[in-house]
Amino acid sequence: MMKKYRSLLLLVLYIVLPNLYFSQKSDKIWIDGLGRSFFSSDAQINEEDTISASNISSGYNLIDLNTHINPFETIEIFGQVRIKNEFGSFFGSGTQIDIRQLRASGIIKNKVKFSVGDLFLKQNKFTLYNYDEELNFFENNYNSSYKEIVDYENFYFENRWRLQGIQTNFSYKFDRFIRTLEFDLFTTRPRGSSQINSGLNTSISDMLISGGSMVSKLNKSFTAELNYVLLKELPATGTVERAIRNPVYQMGINYNNKSENSIINHKLQAGFSERNWSYKSVDDSTSELNKGMFAEFSSSYFKIDSTFSLNLGYRYVDPNFRSSGAQTRRIEMNETNVGSIYSLYSNDYLVRPISVFDIVTDPNIYNQNISGTLMSFDPIFSNALPYGDATPNRQGIFLDGKYNSKNKILNINFKTSYFNEVIGQGTTQKRNFFTILQSSNINLKEIFNHTKEFDLSFSTMNQITSREGDSLERVNLNSQHFNLLIEKEILSKLFLQLSLKRFESAGNEYINKRNEYGEIFTFQSLNITRVDNLYCYGIKYKYRENVYINLQYNLWNSNFNNSNYPDLNFQRFLFIFSIKL
Amino acid sequence: MKDFNILISKYFITLSLTLFTITTFKIYGQENESLNQIFTSNIKNIKSNSSSISFAGSYRFLGFVRNQTEVFPNNSGKTLVLLSGDNFREPMLLLKLKGLTKDKISFGADFMLNSTYKGPENVNNQLTLELGLNLRSSFTTSFGKFNVSSGGVNWYRQSRLTVWGNRSFNRESIYHRRPQTRLTSTPHLRYENYYNDGLIDEGVRYGNRAFQGIFINGQNLPKGFSLKGVIGKTPFNRSILDSLSNNYTGCFRVSKKFKNNFNFSYNYLNSTNLIDTVNNEYRGYSINTLEFSKKWNLFSINLEAGLGNYYSPENNFNNGEALILNISSSKKAKYPIDIQAYRISSEFVNLTGNFLNTSVLEIFPNTGSNNRATTIRPQFNSPMVGLGIHTNNRQGISVNTQHSFGKLKINAGIGISSEIDTSISSISYRYNVNAQTLSRLYLFARDWGPYNVLNSTYRNIFENVSISDTNINGLANFKKYFANFEFQAKYSGNLGSKKFYIFFLSRFNSCSRSLHYFPKYNLDVLISQISNQIDFNLEVSNNASLILNFGMERIIGNHITDLGDNTDPSGSPINMILNRLNPTNSIVNFARNQRNRLIGMGLDYKIGKDAMIFFRHNLYSYHDPNFVLNNLKGSETMLELKILF
Repeated sequence: MMKKYRSLLLLVLYIVLPNLYFSQKSDKIWIDGLGRSFFSSDAQINEEDTISASNISSGYNLIDLNTHINPFETIEIFGQVRIKNEFGSFFGSGTQIDIRQLRASGIIKNKVKFSVGDLFLKQNKFTLYNYDEELNFFENNYNSSYKEIVDYENFYFENRWRLQGIQTNFSYKFDRFIRTLEFDLFTTRPRGSSQINSGLNTSISDMLISGGSMVSKLNKSFTAELNYVLLKELPATGTVERAIRNPVYQMGINYNNKSENSIINHKLQAGFSERNWSYKSVDDSTSELNKGMFAEFSSSYFKIDSTFSLNLGYRYVDPNFRSSGAQTRRIEMNETNVGSIYSLYSNDYLVRPISVFDIVTDPNIYNQNISGTLMSFDPIFSNALPYGDATPNRQGIFLDGKYNSKNKILNINFKTSYFNEVIGQGTTQKRNFFTILQSSNINLKEIFNHTKEFDLSFSTMNQITSREGDSLERVNLNSQHFNLLIEKEILSKLFLQLSLKRFESAGNEYINKRNEYGEIFTFQSLNITRVDNLYCYGIKYKYRENVYINLQYNLWNSNFNNSNYPDLNFQRFLFIFSIKL
Repeated sequence: MKDFNILISKYFITLSLTLFTITTFKIYGQENESLNQIFTSNIKNIKSNSSSISFAGSYRFLGFVRNQTEVFPNNSGKTLVLLSGDNFREPMLLLKLKGLTKDKISFGADFMLNSTYKGPENVNNQLTLELGLNLRSSFTTSFGKFNVSSGGVNWYRQSRLTVWGNRSFNRESIYHRRPQTRLTSTPHLRYENYYNDGLIDEGVRYGNRAFQGIFINGQNLPKGFSLKGVIGKTPFNRSILDSLSNNYTGCFRVSKKFKNNFNFSYNYLNSTNLIDTVNNEYRGYSINTLEFSKKWNLFSINLEAGLGNYYSPENNFNNGEALILNISSSKKAKYPIDIQAYRISSEFVNLTGNFLNTSVLEIFPNTGSNNRATTIRPQFNSPMVGLGIHTNNRQGISVNTQHSFGKLKINAGIGISSEIDTSISSISYRYNVNAQTLSRLYLFARDWGPYNVLNSTYRNIFENVSISDTNINGLANFKKYFANFEFQAKYSGNLGSKKFYIFFLSRFNSCSRSLHYFPKYNLDVLISQISNQIDFNLEVSNNASLILNFGMERIIGNHITDLGDNTDPSGSPINMILNRLNPTNSIVNFARNQRNRLIGMGLDYKIGKDAMIFFRHNLYSYHDPNFVLNNLKGSETMLELKILF
């Protein structure tokens, strides 16, 4: 189906483009995009490893040309063409030219918005939401050059999933009973049918994800919302026997009270989900049925001058709550997902585990596909909420807040939560999760009265997981994360940067092993004392936000304190030239 | 599936009804809420500032027909070739994208689109890049103005001993065209420029070296300094490993301008190739040079001198010296003269400088990995090169001068050079006649032909000759000496109201065991090469120009070089004219006795502004009576349409 869409859009592009070529001055075609040069040179400095290459380099130059065609004011055809040239390939070798995005969007009669093609969708945190990866909180800029690349390459934008299909929304405005009624509908195909085995002529099925929202501003203070998402495989489009079905329903009501200086907000939301598999060969048969619900209540206080905010809430998510669109993770933490550089290391050719450096720097370990089952996670990085707010089998309270000093010298963000499991896993004992994290930014320019920018930022995270019980049941895992960034403008627009990221995790835990239906079938014991460090220093010439030249030296290591896993020690020289066209 | 169909049906019925309702009737509904404030699961489109983008480029169609009447013995039986293009990788449609962001950062890419026009079964019309992508920016600070660019291929030039290439060629036949040959405003102007200026500008790629990487250029630095540099890769840094290894060439130049036209520069270059990841073994070289230039009214001096070292598992050279000195009189002088002296030791190795490497063979990457093509190996075996071209392990001097006698302009040069130390027991030489033709027979092949001595490079070809007099190390038992003489005459006249030009070019090179001040054509020397080419151009009209070419080349070798497989015990004469006059006393040899000949005619026709057609028809022959399998004959016909936009 999507191929047809693409063909249709390409056809439209080819027909429309020549006619519009001479009309560029009337803004019918305009172009933006991104250009980037990326060169890195990595070296392993592990004395024990005498087999791996001592250094490797990689890099590329790319230009993403976003062509926006507006044949008339309310319609836009958008095509993103990527031209990429691998570093070290000359005279056309290593060249790649791809269509990266293709979309048509517009407004029908100034009433109905529509988009066809590549969409970036987000609905509700329990129905369709692309949660941040681990170790990333408060949208910090500790490793912003890397973060921009990771997000851009994986289409991570405002916690949306990039999906391909059709979407529309429209609204009504009323003068009695309610103020507005807003509708949003979409249907997309996150995965198309493709061949599994050419010899056996087998193929997987199409997977669709569709949804709808209805939002109503009931009056000045109250807003009600209703969201629905359905993930479904179409068994007839493939040869696989079973097909997943996962509808999720959410409803909520929001109260907003705005006074002269502040806003008070209360939100109550609840919902439920079903997930099962149907079988081709047996009519009306289903199996592995999971039904679960969630509920959340939160209250917020915001000062209108943005100097202070506080949010307190309680959340309950059933152990069997399954929402593919909200629980799909950005990183699958299993043995097959390995980093791009030195994926094998040591003289024993060990698979290098994903490290803090990989999470920060490597776009290739990230996932863009919606998963019907819970993806694996590493408890040392995110044990409390590995699937974001939609993490099943959690109940507890959360509190977060923000303070900005009026003189713009200090900015503090903090979050804390205490959750426990609704039911125990493999035991009647339940885990408890305590998390506290904060991020502070000190504007040294104001303090020292400098004319040029001078910032100090640091953040900490501490997550403690515990479970009482006998020696087999007992769990005690403590993970700590510390970030530091000092950024000083030494010449106009030229910044000296120094950053440090340290991650420590110690204790014991069990890693859930799930079967093809996402059900836990065993637990893998984990005893760990691990320390990861990432030191970066470099210079950055910032033309403006997202347009810069960055030269960095990175030194990173992972210490496993395990004789079976030698420690990792690597360094990297990095050059990035990024421009927004 | 049935469920899904029902679901989809319901969905679309609902959607259709809703759309119908809201677009047709206005039940309950009043004016729509502002579309930007309502809930949407999708992103909101915000128009950003558009970048300024323009396209330039060219369309070039080359219809190529080659009809071989005599072929090499391993020919498959295919003697007639009809091609779109001549098999070299050249763009038919070259679209140069040039963009400028609002931050004044420029970006560019050169799209290349080709079609072989071989019918629907052989569609291979992929859009690709000719060279690559580039991002460029400049910023001004209190220390000066800096230009930074990244990407590549970028053409880079620094100094003769570090990064350099010859861009303009004086002594070449103007009959031949290359894809990069520029269009002039009229067909005749190309020949007129050659007559007046004597230079053929072959394009930026010939004067520079291809680099990928990060480039910096600083101008107006304090105290008259300027700098330029690059860290990246050249084609010689191609990695033999799947994952790219740290093969880099980095170089920079710091210059200072003094008063009175005196310039001083320091140049540095370092190149490394990782060849063994386990033992961490590298091949590489580094070079440091100083460069002085001073200009007076009557003459100018340019001197570059430096040291270079080379390391690899096979060879380890400590500092070797190199020096290139140019003394040129003013062009306004009645008899302008140019003297060039050079000495480049065998330890001074560089693949990007303006000289050939002849001392270490292993530095040329032999294979590429992951679509990174093998680098073409240039001449290595004691090359016999023309004036102005240098090699390492050699020292020499050359003198060039020119003078006009009315409409007759002549220029000539003479040079001698010798190896500094004995080297490989082989000599290599390029053909002056039929070079493009033969290179098209087997693109970029090494050691091919019936005797496995031909080597094709980009639109050129060279041949290796073995020497039998060797020492115990297998090297030549003597130092080789080279002598060159080049003579060119240009004449302009009128045939009625039409202008014509005659260009005559003679090149004479020899390689011998002892020093000769002038090249020799006899069997005392190892190899003698003499070529004569005449180009005749007639302006037919403002839009048409006729070009005729005749070229002949003789290459002979003495008994120390390879002997042929000619079974005739009397050998073959080395001079056809003397042989005709006095066959009994004719000097004969059994080694190389090659005869290259090219007769060509062509027409250049302007069909519009920046649009021309070029027609060429060549009759070629390549023959050696002593190496009987070296016998080629045939014709090439080319129709080139070139349009710039």
